[in-house]
Amino acid sequence: MSPGLDYVVIRSHAMMAELLSPEQIRDLAERDSLASFVEQLAETSYGEISIAAEGDTSIALESIFYQKFIERMMGVVDLAPTNIGDFLQSYYYLRFEVINLKRIIRGMYSGLSTSKIMESLIPITPYKVESYEALVEAGSLHDAIMRLEDTPYEPLISSLELTEKYDALWPVEIALNYLSAMVVFRSLERLPQNDRGLVRRIVQAEADVENFLVAAKQRSAREEARSPEEMFPTTYDISYDMLREAIMADDLTAVINSLSPPYNEILSPLYEGDVALIRSRLRQYIFDIAAGGREVNDFGFNVVMAYLIFSEIEKDNLVGIAWGKTQGIQSEDILKYLAIPQ
Amino acid sequence: MSATTGVRPTKGYLMEMKRRIGFIERGTEFLKLKRDHLAKELTSSIDILKGRRGSLLEELRVAYRAVTAAYISLGPTEVQSQAKSIKSRLELEVLPRSVMGVRYPYIKVDKQPQITGELDITLSEAAEKVLSVLDDILQLAEYEARAERIADELGKTNRKVNALENTIIPSYRGVIKFIEDKLDEESLEELVRMKLIGGALARRRG
Repeated sequence: MSPGLDYVVIRSHAMMAELLSPEQIRDLAERDSLASFVEQLAETSYGEISIAAEGDTSIALESIFYQKFIERMMGVVDLAPTNIGDFLQSYYYLRFEVINLKRIIRGMYSGLSTSKIMESLIPITPYKVESYEALVEAGSLHDAIMRLEDTPYEPLISSLELTEKYDALWPVEIALNYLSAMVVFRSLERLPQNDRGLVRRIVQAEADVENFLVAAKQRSAREEARSPEEMFPTTYDISYDMLREAIMADDLTAVINSLSPPYNEILSPLYEGDVALIRSRLRQYIFDIAAGGREVNDFGFNVVMAYLIFSEIEKDNLVGIAWGKTQGIQSEDILKYLAIPQ
Repeated sequence: MSATTGVRPTKGYLMEMKRRIGFIERGTEFLKLKRDHLAKELTSSIDILKGRRGSLLEELRVAYRAVTAAYISLGPTEVQSQAKSIKSRLELEVLPRSVMGVRYPYIKVDKQPQITGELDITLSEAAEKVLSVLDDILQLAEYEARAERIADELGKTNRKVNALENTIIPSYRGVIKFIEDKLDEESLEELVRMKLIGGALARRRG
């Protein structure tokens, strides 16, 4: 274990104590009002939260939870040794930057003001682009994408033609998804052999489930659907043939049943069209992988990855609870979509 | 002041009154026909509303659950960002329609939103569920407005029919009876007067 990794592992262990326990998350979800939720949250590591009187409360809270997660993430990712750091930066910074680029593109497409677009971005420092403001101020979607020249996002320029032809954003979004997936897979290969197992299982599960969901969505336009090989940069346990079958199937039951565990279990809510439940099951599965990784080795990269995963799941849970409480949603309807370990 | 105050008990006035009551009675018959037709329209609208409202509420619950799931799963900023990327939005016109002279709004959908392609599958499922109930919501809104306006007009028509049947027509009948009585009385007086004059003339000749 390198000295750099030692420090990050010890730091992750220490910071792990700050995370909310499953009981605390459940307790927060069961609060009867938003005020009670904020009051209870003040007794945790989040402390007192002040929310501006005007504007959307759930979005203000979401921003606070993102901010907290980014602080935690940077406290680990920026200190990790180069090979591990490269992967973590691709997995986290690039993922968030891709979300921001999508929000910029959507905002420009729908004619939102610069300030509104900037407000919708995840508060991270630009990773591979110079500045988000420069993109937003480009004036048009075409100019904004052209400004990505000489960045790793340059391949997006070739998707502009289709975007303009169909007056739709899906060509750019698919290109962005493809690009970010490729970068994550490449950086995964550079991880030390010993550390690759846990991350590979996580990245594979995410990629396979997302591929399947995209394939399931393509069913409604199966005549125009492109081949899975063109759409998905890579597949693991759910092969291109299975994805092709999913695109062509009228009923997904048989296709999902033919998948190996855990995918048949994770994807089964698709029968009833409850896709959100698939995402919460996937988070739960990833949580279990990370927890299992700690059991195998609690003094290596597994701890760092587990800390980041637990922290991100906590952020997602809190964002969901905050929105549900703002809307007065019943606790059981919120709890259904949270990933809380049993 | 009685209904007969200022009434001229003349044959000309009686004929005018009879012409008027004939016109009023015909009008009352038309109003009754309108009332019956409106009542029929209202009953059928309410039956449709009852049936559709029940099924729509259930469909709305399903759609709302899907929207809730999408928000909890993706977060509010992401949902709003994706929703804004839909350029082809719902476009509709509200046009007037009429039944028995009662105007009510008719909603014409010019353009349905195109949700495929731009949204994450979680949001896309929720949007499809909302879109599937959108036509029903619009139709229900149209029926509710129609039922409301018909009920309002039915109330007004009913009040008019009742006023005509219970107040206006009886008062006209009263006036006619009064004039007829007056005229009968006058003609009887005239007859008696003529008989007295006839008798006096006969006695003078005799």
